[in-house]
Amino acid sequence: MSATPTPEAVESREPLPPPSSPPAETTPPRRTSRFRPAQLIPFIPALVPAALIVAVIAELVVSTGFTNFGLSFWGPDWLPSPSVGTPTFGILVFITGSFLTAIPALLLAMAIGLGIAIASTSYLPRWITRFLDPFVDLLAGIPSIVYGIWGYLLVAPFFGTVINPVIYRYFSFVPGFGGKAPLAEGVGLPVAIFILTLMALPITTLLIRDSLRAVPRDLWEAGLGLGATRWETTRKVAIPYGLRGIVSAGFLGFGRAFGETVMVAMVLNVVPAFPINFYSGTSTMAAEMFTQLDSAHGNGQFLAALSEMALVLLAISLVVNIVGRRLVSHFAVYEVPGL
Amino acid sequence: MASASVAAPAETGKDLLFDASARTRWRLGFDRVAGWLLPVLFLVAIVPILDLVYYIASQALPTLSWAVLTNTNPHDPYALGVPIISTVYVMLWATAVAVALGLFGGVATAEFLSERAAGWMRMSANLLVGTPSVVIGYFGYFALVLGLGWGYSFIAGATTLAFFMTPYIFRVTDLAYSSIPRPIREAALGSGARPYQYILKVAAPIALPQILNGVFLAVAIGVGETAPIVLTSTHSVLVPQTLYSPVSFLTAEIWLNFSQPPGQALALAFQAAFVVLVVVVALNIVVRIISARYQKRLEGLYQ
Repeated sequence: MSATPTPEAVESREPLPPPSSPPAETTPPRRTSRFRPAQLIPFIPALVPAALIVAVIAELVVSTGFTNFGLSFWGPDWLPSPSVGTPTFGILVFITGSFLTAIPALLLAMAIGLGIAIASTSYLPRWITRFLDPFVDLLAGIPSIVYGIWGYLLVAPFFGTVINPVIYRYFSFVPGFGGKAPLAEGVGLPVAIFILTLMALPITTLLIRDSLRAVPRDLWEAGLGLGATRWETTRKVAIPYGLRGIVSAGFLGFGRAFGETVMVAMVLNVVPAFPINFYSGTSTMAAEMFTQLDSAHGNGQFLAALSEMALVLLAISLVVNIVGRRLVSHFAVYEVPGL
Repeated sequence: MASASVAAPAETGKDLLFDASARTRWRLGFDRVAGWLLPVLFLVAIVPILDLVYYIASQALPTLSWAVLTNTNPHDPYALGVPIISTVYVMLWATAVAVALGLFGGVATAEFLSERAAGWMRMSANLLVGTPSVVIGYFGYFALVLGLGWGYSFIAGATTLAFFMTPYIFRVTDLAYSSIPRPIREAALGSGARPYQYILKVAAPIALPQILNGVFLAVAIGVGETAPIVLTSTHSVLVPQTLYSPVSFLTAEIWLNFSQPPGQALALAFQAAFVVLVVVVALNIVVRIISARYQKRLEGLYQ
């Protein structure tokens, strides 16, 4: 049986009525996709974060007054209000100080974070990590000023009376560890680095933990099934697999330590000079900006220098954060302050 | 999930350790030592946090009482009540501004932008989160204190703080709306709902707990932040009377008084630190609880 109608059946059909053509005088229908400016309104709020970043950069650029400090801006002399002569604004001390505090803190935070993350993912049972992991998360929530007052009044004296003297006594032959005796108050680089480590630790730990947890179960089981120990599986399977996440943890942890302001200003014994040895104070860009804005109020050139320093700090932070964020996208850690 | 999968070889380890070659003994022994030593690193996080909380509490609690917390006497420069009430005012303003900016921004990004454009906005928000607080403070100082001529004032400080809090609310709102299951969105729009009807009547009830979570998180971060407000406002012994009055803030009181010799000023710093710490830790715990429940609820939407 054929479903196709025979030619006769087609011909026997009633002819269709001719299509009713539209009256010639009506206008063609309005194009519904015509652009109206009001259509843009819902998109405007979405621009908030980008606009805010652009505004911050633009405002800082404008407030420099396009003052050109020349090469001395990158030099070591910071004399904003000298008793004689013209002021000099060189930020080399602060750039050095920022890296000198942030890099050791980052290395420590990465090492400890890697250890905690491996312990948490490979060794400890779930019921223990459920209890221990929140402590690391909580470290991120402590405000930096609370770290600061704790560091200034409790940790720094401990460093000043116990740790620094011991290091000074037994390691003073090492370059940088001898010279001027450490202060009893203990404020200086070691305390700042120690607390910066604590502050960067939650970021590095969480990101590394997340990237290790993201390793497919099959890979873990393949490694273990081949007879590798948990350590070998972690080192040769899980860490290479999660390497991007681990590197991003390094960048973002560095960003956190590099931009830390108030805590550093409290425990670093802020002085605008290069550190003379391991125990002495120096200054970072963020701490100097924070403590000096008051004295710069109303002083155009000083303000210009500070806002140029702010731009340098912001530029480094942005680069570090862009690289760190491009490596991974972590929605999961949105609940962590500062991440 | 990984921890469950790697627990198996531990049982056989002991037998192998005594029968195997030196090389295998070393490998298994190393693994076992790592299993004992690595968890010890948790102490690096746990000891400081307990020490910090204990120290602040032990310094603040002896001098803290209800009378101290509610002392708003303007003739007492060390009255804790003034910074507490001022902080509440500042946080109300800052949260309102940050929610206005972040909430609409997050919804618009999740609902209206293409993936590509939304990616740019998310990156901007992430970068704002990564911007040092002192830079945001400088922005507030140059744009609001000097630029708009608001002076060192309540409104300049609170608005600067709002800029600092905005990206957190933005990201969480965006995430909450983006993670609503796609079938729900398609069902709503397919049955003729207009976008705003979907946003308000269908998606909002699902997304609200997480958005609230983001607001709590932003408040916790804002309350603990020092630089944006210290740079844009000055100390006051009065609760702000107008938008342009100077205002005190709990963290600013700590900053002003932490290096004082033991006495009333230092006591005020510790009391303020304790109040901030309690508020921040409590909010962080609330955030974690809501977040965990929300995840379960979101998974339940598919059933």
